[in-house]
Amino acid sequence: MIYFALAKGRLGSESAALLDRCGVDVSALKEDTRKLVLKSADGKYGFFLVKPSDVPIYVEAGVADVGIAGKDTLLEENRDLYEMLDLKIGACSLCIAGDPARRDLLTNPHLRVATKYVNTAKRVFAERGEEIEIIPLHGSIELAPVTGLSDVIFDVVQTGSTLKANGLAVLEEVYAGITARLVVNKVSLKTNPAVTALIARMKEAIA
Amino acid sequence: MTYRKLPSGVQDILPDECRCLMQIKARLQHKFTACGFEPVASAALEYYDTYSEIKNRVPQERMFKCTDTDGKLLVLRPDTTLSISRIAAAKPGVSPARLYYFSDKWDMQSAGGISNREIYQAGVECLGEEGVFSDAQAIAFAVECLKEAGLKNFVLDIGHVGYFKGLLEGSGLSEEDAEAVRAYVNAKDGLNAERILRRAGADENLLNNVLALPALFGGAEVLDAAPLPENEGARAAIAHLKALNGLLVKMGYEKYICFDLGTVRKLSYYSGVVFTALVKELGAAVLSGGRYDNLADDFGAHIPAVGFAIGLKRLLIALERQGNLPEARPLDCVVVSEEGAEEVAYRAFQRMAGEGKRVRLCAACGIEAAKREKAKGQTVLFAQRDGLKEI
Repeated sequence: MIYFALAKGRLGSESAALLDRCGVDVSALKEDTRKLVLKSADGKYGFFLVKPSDVPIYVEAGVADVGIAGKDTLLEENRDLYEMLDLKIGACSLCIAGDPARRDLLTNPHLRVATKYVNTAKRVFAERGEEIEIIPLHGSIELAPVTGLSDVIFDVVQTGSTLKANGLAVLEEVYAGITARLVVNKVSLKTNPAVTALIARMKEAIA
Repeated sequence: MTYRKLPSGVQDILPDECRCLMQIKARLQHKFTACGFEPVASAALEYYDTYSEIKNRVPQERMFKCTDTDGKLLVLRPDTTLSISRIAAAKPGVSPARLYYFSDKWDMQSAGGISNREIYQAGVECLGEEGVFSDAQAIAFAVECLKEAGLKNFVLDIGHVGYFKGLLEGSGLSEEDAEAVRAYVNAKDGLNAERILRRAGADENLLNNVLALPALFGGAEVLDAAPLPENEGARAAIAHLKALNGLLVKMGYEKYICFDLGTVRKLSYYSGVVFTALVKELGAAVLSGGRYDNLADDFGAHIPAVGFAIGLKRLLIALERQGNLPEARPLDCVVVSEEGAEEVAYRAFQRMAGEGKRVRLCAACGIEAAKREKAKGQTVLFAQRDGLKEI
């Protein structure tokens, strides 16, 4: 039996497609249901559908053996788990973005940064020796610089179309190559043979 | 207005849970004593400098601090092995010894969940001994202690710090890069380890050896699969693990052990073999330990040693999930006194407790009190001037 923590939403659907290719019966995930715990018909797999940023929490605690989470989430959560495969899906980058005409703001001694990656932003700017004010938000981050709530944002950028539609642009790419990763609980890897077998199959599938 | 809350990361242990904890503690204490270990207790308050000025210093953000009356900074014991190492080095006649303790340690930054900031541990330290048999007996004893506590289906995951250290020795990697590679290898994140190594211009040999690490876990066969670099330390580590495996197999522990050469924990005082006990029901280690031959050097004496600590709260959670918590011992009886016959009741209670029965003395007197106890399902002895009578 393997329990998966999967993100609800787009990453979750892409994860399900990948697991399907690796021989995991994911038909339970295709049902239109509001259930949060799903089980495959053969009883070999269980799925928890959680908020993307909660995937590492479930895996670290061992409630889920395996999870699929974006590298952005892993950087932010910084949990004690094994990060075993780059699944190469959901590619994006973590960027500082803002009004392209106001690049001068970047040198502002008290830069106001709106982000949902509070820990990562703190670390990134602290490593550069910059003191910033963090404005923690949970969505529509792009609105912050447009309305003057912040000077810039620190967020994931996939196509850049939301930025463009709001008159913003990437000012600096901080982490490139943010993709989905297969994360594994440290104990499950050693005590659940089904987990090692799955990892081997997934490694082949993405190669 | 009384302030009733607790700070985050600490807990009161209520009677039901505390009873289980004490029963497990009693089992372990019995085991430690039977196997020739002596108890030790270190002070909970120590000087900040003790832990901040040693080579294996405890990060200051992890220590609970307060100020002494003379202005000196004090900390709550951040690590019991460090305390015992200090005792062994500083107090004459302590080492060599096999010691055990039940002790709290405090960690300001524990993450929550099953990691509290006040951590109650049972542990042993084998001081002043070295060699592969010393390691083997420590690992075997760890297995026996967990069995004694009632745990089932666990494995001891064994590694050796010398292998990774040896691989990196002479690689010319900066301290920063080496630490980054360690963290990535420990997380089995080969991709990022490779990125750092390539950026640092590591040669292909080193690259291949380090990138093999995340996959080097499993049975004793990983010891044969491990690449053997020129480095003497890395070769010695593999030879040591092979000898250790040989001994443990002969001693009858084959089914309890596995190996992981990619376990390279952060900032650790361990110098040789390291091990953790893993159980499926819990996502984290219930026991961790290893060999720390050079730790006491920081306190002024060279005392090779090996030891381990069991997180008792984690052990309790694992036992609960396995449906294996110790059973409560029921009361044999409750003694209730008739009004005016208190001394009869008390003497009977004293006598039975002395005979090894589990008996409670009811503070309320009279037949109504006796009936209330009876209604709770207890065996009730009612004490009257002319003797005891079961109700």
